[in-house]
Amino acid sequence: MKRFNDFFGQFGGRYVAEMLRAPLDELEAAFLDALDDASFRDLLALTLRDFAGRPTPLLFAENATRELGGARIYIKLEGLAHTGAHKINNAIGQALLAKRMGKTRIIAETGAGQHGVATAAVCARLGIPCRVYMGAVDMRRQKPNVFWMERYGAEVVAVTGGSATLKDAVNEALRDWAGSFRDTHYLLGSALGPSPYPDMVREFQSVIGKELCGQIEEKGLECAALVACVGGGSNAIGFFSPFLESETPELIGVEAGGRGTGVGEHAARMNGRGQPGIVQGYKSLFLTDADGQVLSTHSVSAGLDYPGIGPQLAHLGTMGRVRFLTASDAEALEAVKFFARMEGMIFALESAHAAAAVMRIARDYPAESSLVVNMSGRGDKDLFILARAMDAEPWAEFLREEAAQ
Amino acid sequence: MSAPSRIMAHLVAYYPDRAGSLRAARGLADGGCTWLEVQFPFSDPTADGPDIQAACARALEAGFTVKDGFVLVAEICAAVTVPVFVMSYANLLFTRGVGRFLDECHAAGAYGVIVPDLPPDADEGLYAEARARGLAAVPVLSPSISTERLCRAAALDTEYIYATLRAGTTGPRSTVDEATRRFLSSIKEARTTRPAKILAGFGVTSREQVRALESHAHGVIVGSALVREIAGGGDPYALLRARIRELVRP
Ligand SMILES: Cc1ncc(COP(=O)(O)O)c(C=O)c1O
Repeated sequence: MKRFNDFFGQFGGRYVAEMLRAPLDELEAAFLDALDDASFRDLLALTLRDFAGRPTPLLFAENATRELGGARIYIKLEGLAHTGAHKINNAIGQALLAKRMGKTRIIAETGAGQHGVATAAVCARLGIPCRVYMGAVDMRRQKPNVFWMERYGAEVVAVTGGSATLKDAVNEALRDWAGSFRDTHYLLGSALGPSPYPDMVREFQSVIGKELCGQIEEKGLECAALVACVGGGSNAIGFFSPFLESETPELIGVEAGGRGTGVGEHAARMNGRGQPGIVQGYKSLFLTDADGQVLSTHSVSAGLDYPGIGPQLAHLGTMGRVRFLTASDAEALEAVKFFARMEGMIFALESAHAAAAVMRIARDYPAESSLVVNMSGRGDKDLFILARAMDAEPWAEFLREEAAQ
Repeated sequence: MSAPSRIMAHLVAYYPDRAGSLRAARGLADGGCTWLEVQFPFSDPTADGPDIQAACARALEAGFTVKDGFVLVAEICAAVTVPVFVMSYANLLFTRGVGRFLDECHAAGAYGVIVPDLPPDADEGLYAEARARGLAAVPVLSPSISTERLCRAAALDTEYIYATLRAGTTGPRSTVDEATRRFLSSIKEARTTRPAKILAGFGVTSREQVRALESHAHGVIVGSALVREIAGGGDPYALLRARIRELVRP
């Protein structure tokens, strides 16, 4: 896999107003230069180890395997990385790059808040002022992450325009950057947006897949498939990256099936539901109407609630290298419960979509083969959503008492 | 006495609603603008500031579709004598097919198109296809542009070039300083064929700014200030005619 592709088949590119061209050209050059520099790579590796806590383990889900039947299930525990999700890998990479470029301010968008928390934590450590744009709807449903971002010293700005979710936060970050790029780096959190972001985010997330290769070999696994959830696609593309140019294992991306197949009820863009478009600086598949206006989306998980998909995954899906499935809100909630009880692991609601797909397909694979699911994040941030879905009244009572204190 | 100033006046199709936007166009033309820029609202206008964002959201709620937009443009073209430019974002052209979108522009009587997120070399054929139809596609250039890209954009030999006076989004006031003047003259110097008609815009709200720009550009674009003018209600025709009169006053 080349480090810089710009286009992936027909998708990708740098479709931005002229004022953002220069900063993107500068970013591309700085990124490629940094990757060629052994001292940058060493600093990145050291920070991933000491600050993020890498490598993350590969756990054999023995009880789940017994319960479900079929393939052996393994879980790549990205959620054990510092700040609770794979987002930290990219945040560290880009923040170190920003510092190397002499940028003195960092901005980011966030959906579930995991990317915002990761960025805020890294910025705190590097002493770089940080502003995070977050949809007002997402701030409400991922309140604990807003709290943590502020503790790390970040300024969290509520975005009320549009659907007040992830895509609107991306719009607002792009607007900020259009006026601030001289001193500011836009630390984009998924493998989407104008080139070079999809390539850069994949490279920084590829640490997941590289570690996995070693762990598969060490454990002697006969790996049949890798399964990851897909919002913009950063955890999936990083997890899949070493295998993109081979024919095996099977690669499975899981999108948010939400609560139905109607407009605004889901965020599944593959398998014919999205149409080619140019939005937020890149060409890919988007949920749009006949005119090309972006449609609203829904997912119980804020991190998958986005109308576009990273251009490389759109291409890999179109080519058939990555198979796309969906999991519904309800299935994701069931998967959280199942893996908590079976393995003592609370999946983030995003990652639980991948787990739900594994629960559905495990029996389709022979018992001696293995399925590896990426637990892209852990579910601490989802406490309020999970409590409302699983234990509503006692939890509400607790909150009332707490508020009365 | 100097001549009245040349202004490209911007409006959002279907803002505040269909009838209101037609009245806005008439008011701007009767007030004395030289060109009209009709923005087709897009759900995710990343190059626009709060005023135009809000106007686009409202226009979409008012029922704007691209098909209806072209009907409106045809009515505007029939009602005014100034050239009309259609401005929008890449996805509305790409989804329809750039060629078909331009055919419809042409059929509606538009003079040209402005699509900020289809810059030269990532334009999906916009410049060549517009030229083939006799439409003026207007590249949007910004002060951060590299010399190499500036030369390439100039070499497209378009009749008009849109120069944004600063980085950022539409809306906040721009100052016209030495750097602005240098940017505008660098565009002129980059053009080796016929001179380009440079339209300068972003954050122009006052008669003084228009005057300050006049000697450095062929025309001045006014956008958010006009959207703000009608945001509080009232008759768009009367409000905008008065506002343009004040801005072009010799
Ligand atoms: C834990 C977790 N997994 C997955 C995602 C989805 O993003 P991506 O598809 O870029 O991995 C998010 C996004 O917020 C997340 O927080």
